[in-house]
Amino acid sequence: MSFTQIARSCSRLAATLAPKRIASAALVQSQQARMMHRIAVPAVANQWSQKFGVRSYSAKSTIEDIKFRVLKVVSAYDKECRRNRWQTQSVRRYSAKPPLSLKLINERVLLVLKLYDKIDPCKLNVESHFINDLGLDSLDHVEVIMAMEDEFGFEIPDSDAEKLLKPADIIKYVADKEDVYE
Amino acid sequence: MSTRRQAITLYRNLLRESAKLPSYNFRMYAARKIRDTFRANRTIRDYEEIDRQMVAGQQNLELIRRQVIIGHLYTTDKLVIENKKSLKPSDD
Repeated sequence: MSFTQIARSCSRLAATLAPKRIASAALVQSQQARMMHRIAVPAVANQWSQKFGVRSYSAKSTIEDIKFRVLKVVSAYDKECRRNRWQTQSVRRYSAKPPLSLKLINERVLLVLKLYDKIDPCKLNVESHFINDLGLDSLDHVEVIMAMEDEFGFEIPDSDAEKLLKPADIIKYVADKEDVYE
Repeated sequence: MSTRRQAITLYRNLLRESAKLPSYNFRMYAARKIRDTFRANRTIRDYEEIDRQMVAGQQNLELIRRQVIIGHLYTTDKLVIENKKSLKPSDD
């Protein structure tokens, strides 16, 4: 083997090794980069949580834990509300009215009439005539009808109002308007 | 000439409009005044006097309607008495 031959094979060897070396260097670099990434993320997260007050719960908190915690807070809130009832009485409003029945209409009409100061609750009866039996005049009658409008939330036109002379008439009229039949 | 039915309609309209006044004091005053005036004038039998009172009532109805609009332009906070009214002993 001549000297030139040896030199040539050496250069060939070097040529075949070179890409490997470059590749391995790249590998090391990329691994380093990956490690950097791993180090950097918690640091950033820490910074964020410090900055914005984000509480990171441990992964162990299960649905049960969360449920328990929420229920505890809610019950404490309820207790507080009940204590301060006169300041913060919450009024629940549902979108629909409660379903009316004839019995319910009857009760509500009679309650409104009982609360009206010019009617004697003892004399009050479903069949008692406002003007003849209960001693109201036409002006009181207008007020009774207006109280019914407020109670049931619809307007009663004058032409209908003057026909409603007994509590029974009012009950029937309201039931007709609200489509209550039983 | 005004009829009984017209008087009753006027009474109704007055009460209904006066309930819309946003200010508690005006609202209560109007309701009281309407009731008392109608009751005081129910014994009038003179037709001219009745007509005069009816015209006055109509004018007052217009006045209340205007005042409702003006009152809604310049609303104030509700009085303490009004808030108490909403506290119904509902469930106990």
